[in-house]
Amino acid sequence: MVQFIIKRMLYGLLVLAGVIVLVFLLFIGFGDPVRLVIGQTGDKATIENIRKELALDKPKWQQFLLYLKDVSPVSFHSKEEIASKQLKGIFIGGDTKFAIKLPYLRRSYQTKKNVSEVLMEALPGTLVLTSAAMFIAVLIGIPLGVLAAVKQHSIWDTSSIFASVLGISAPSFFVGIIMAYLFGFVVSGYTGLHMTGSLYEVDPFNGRQLQLQNLILPALTLGIRPLAIITQLTRSAMLDVLDQDYIRTAYAKGLTAKRIIWKHALRNALNPVITAVTGWFAELLAGAFFVEYIFGWKGIGKVTVDALEKLDFPVVMGSVLLTALFFVFVNLLADVLYRVVDPRVKPA
Amino acid sequence: MPPPLLTIQNLSVGFTGSNGTTNALHDITIEVNRGELVAIVGESGSGKSVTSLSILQLLPTPPAVYSSGKILFTDNDSTTDLLKASPAEIREVRGNKIAMIFQEPMTSLNPVYTCGNQVTEAILAHKNLPAEEARQQALELFKKVQLPYPELIYNKYPHEISGGQKQRVMIAMAMSCQPSLLICDEPTTALDVTVQQNILELIKQLQLENNMGVIFISHDLGVIANIADKVVVMYKGRIVEQGMAGQVFKHAAHPYTKALLACRPALYDKHERLPVVKDFLPEENTAPATPAKAAEIKPVVHHTFRQPLLSVHNLRVWYPAEKNFFGKPLSYIKAVDDISFEVYSGETIGLVGESGCGKTTTGRAIAGLLQPTGGNIVFDGEDLVTAGKAVWKKIRKDIQIIFQDPYSSLNPRKTVGEAIAEPLKVHNLYASAAQRREYVMALLQKVSLLPEHYKRYPHEFSGGQRQRLVIARALALQPRFIICDESVSALDVSVQAQVLNLLNDLKKELGFTAIFISHDLSVVKYISNRIIVMNKGRIEEQGNAEDIYYRPANAYTQKLIAAIPAMPY
Repeated sequence: MVQFIIKRMLYGLLVLAGVIVLVFLLFIGFGDPVRLVIGQTGDKATIENIRKELALDKPKWQQFLLYLKDVSPVSFHSKEEIASKQLKGIFIGGDTKFAIKLPYLRRSYQTKKNVSEVLMEALPGTLVLTSAAMFIAVLIGIPLGVLAAVKQHSIWDTSSIFASVLGISAPSFFVGIIMAYLFGFVVSGYTGLHMTGSLYEVDPFNGRQLQLQNLILPALTLGIRPLAIITQLTRSAMLDVLDQDYIRTAYAKGLTAKRIIWKHALRNALNPVITAVTGWFAELLAGAFFVEYIFGWKGIGKVTVDALEKLDFPVVMGSVLLTALFFVFVNLLADVLYRVVDPRVKPA
Repeated sequence: MPPPLLTIQNLSVGFTGSNGTTNALHDITIEVNRGELVAIVGESGSGKSVTSLSILQLLPTPPAVYSSGKILFTDNDSTTDLLKASPAEIREVRGNKIAMIFQEPMTSLNPVYTCGNQVTEAILAHKNLPAEEARQQALELFKKVQLPYPELIYNKYPHEISGGQKQRVMIAMAMSCQPSLLICDEPTTALDVTVQQNILELIKQLQLENNMGVIFISHDLGVIANIADKVVVMYKGRIVEQGMAGQVFKHAAHPYTKALLACRPALYDKHERLPVVKDFLPEENTAPATPAKAAEIKPVVHHTFRQPLLSVHNLRVWYPAEKNFFGKPLSYIKAVDDISFEVYSGETIGLVGESGCGKTTTGRAIAGLLQPTGGNIVFDGEDLVTAGKAVWKKIRKDIQIIFQDPYSSLNPRKTVGEAIAEPLKVHNLYASAAQRREYVMALLQKVSLLPEHYKRYPHEFSGGQRQRLVIARALALQPRFIICDESVSALDVSVQAQVLNLLNDLKKELGFTAIFISHDLSVVKYISNRIIVMNKGRIEEQGNAEDIYYRPANAYTQKLIAAIPAMPY
């Protein structure tokens, strides 16, 4: 198992390396970022200074190596570099130090803020929102799917299928607006919810405050589609499993239906469900742009869209790398889960 | 006299479908006493499994409907009608008073729980015990069913142990509450003969030790003759004959029983035609008459087969078993390990052995369905192992394969006509679709089907008919070489006889060379000129079919032949 995880992590590193190359080519490889930094105005001297600062006067391959050095968690840096880039980590050595550090994602063109900081500020929001949405989806979706499969052809089955088809076909920007309007405005008096809001709100008197109730509407909106898909997948996998010989064996042993369904059948039906859950989780982590936008929720999605609007490439690059990291991590998690749930799964 | 342990009284069971109810069982009456082994014999669709599943109410209702009858179970002087029992009452009987083992040990155990866990669960379902006590009892049971290293197997998952061991775990599970009735639904059908022998002995021994009643369902007359006290013969949902085993086997009264006893290939020599059920049951002849093929097949003369059409030299097919960190194989599973043999033009070679011996792998390597690790396969002067695409394109037409399971080897979305015509199209054999169609229809007739069947889909055919369709598809290209991979293993004895007859007829008419792969020595002896016995990837023995079957020289072959249940009557 340990060997398997190490192997998977090495593969993951390869994937990340590929993403870094792509990101570099797309955002720095072509075009002239200086114009993006200073806009239409600016004299020759300023431009030259910025060029120097961003190392744009060097050949492209050197620029790439510098970028790689910045994002790599293991690298060498000079003292001045560490100070100017505000690197965080462990540094060993004299003038040029060996560093094990947090990746340096450079600075925003617009705000001059450290990109890592910008992303880290948005990350908790995204993590909490995504986890809540997936929690809702799994907690309701799996039992609903099981119920539909066990009571196949009954009113439970048909209505859960109907509801899940509805859930799959409703786009999140549409559902989001409806939800925000209905629960955050029309019946706001009863629900006490607002149309928009983030996990933390800055209050003029008390400062930064945790606002958990703001989570409810976006999490529900975001959870609907995975919920619908998980329901359908659980249902079809369960129908398949309930037909298996070992279910008949379990009945012949004299076990109760409840135990057979939840212990013997469900665990065998989980594989496709894990694929769906982890896939959606990664996708939502990458930014639920629409939902975050509609509800004014501060998260990776909103930060990325805002940065794109202003052509703030370092932020976009950072968020792409972060997203890639999420996907690699979640896929690793899925592979481990498969093996936990089903002992027959062997490393390929 | 005490009442019997189990009485099935005038039981009728139907299945509701879109077009009304079809009756699966008509008025069945069977009695089972303590200490008695009652065998139910019949072919697929005879209703034997429906009977056994009805006892424990394991048929889903609907679609199953119990239209009449009773299933009376007597235990400790109290009699209950299982058909009228409440869910809680039936749960109390299941696994406790009446236990059951099934045909497929591979799929009957839950793959995600350990063997020990599943047996312990059965114990705890009926007994109020501390977990450790249940574990001890499960280990006891493992010892009783002669599982090697009970402690080790307790923590193994089903996929980590062999088929025979899985069936032993199933038996341990069934025996966990000392049931008074054990139902065995084809418990050895999926197992190798040598393993089958051991399992049968175990069941018999447990029955005697515990004075259990046993209902034993099988299609294999040899197996039944060896262990049954009473025999019930079922045909199309009805009991056609029942009585003491000796009586039924020696003086079969019903023509169907006679037919079943007669159509076993073990009894016949190559030049003899196998009798089929139709020969015994006159009413079966209402089916569309097959083209007159009464012409006796001439004895296969012992051709002097001089020309090897296919020669296999030092064939090896290895799969990596363990890999190191960088994916380099550390050890191999040697599916086929250094085997050499020749097949002469016009002969049929039988390839026998137990599961995992490499017979199917050999067949697939010859058909080019997998890439050998080493060695040569020379067919008609071309080495297939190194042959390129162009050579293969030519050779594919000459080598065809007939698979085991006629249910899964036909594409369900294609009409059988299209399926058979497809290879013709691939090899550009006929100019127009109409010509191909005509040829396919002629081919259908050749395998005793009707031209009208061209437009039907595979699910509309029975198992035997499907296997004939698969044969027609293989023959469409008029191959010189045919590989039959367990082609009759999934079929009932009577259907098997028909297909074997058909293969013999076609071989005589078309003169192809064949490799016949099977685990069933008597079938192989019947159909082939020479036999190759394989074990663990190697050839144990090869020689004339009769010599190997009647005078085996090799110890392994002797063991294989000794394990075939002989007919004691």
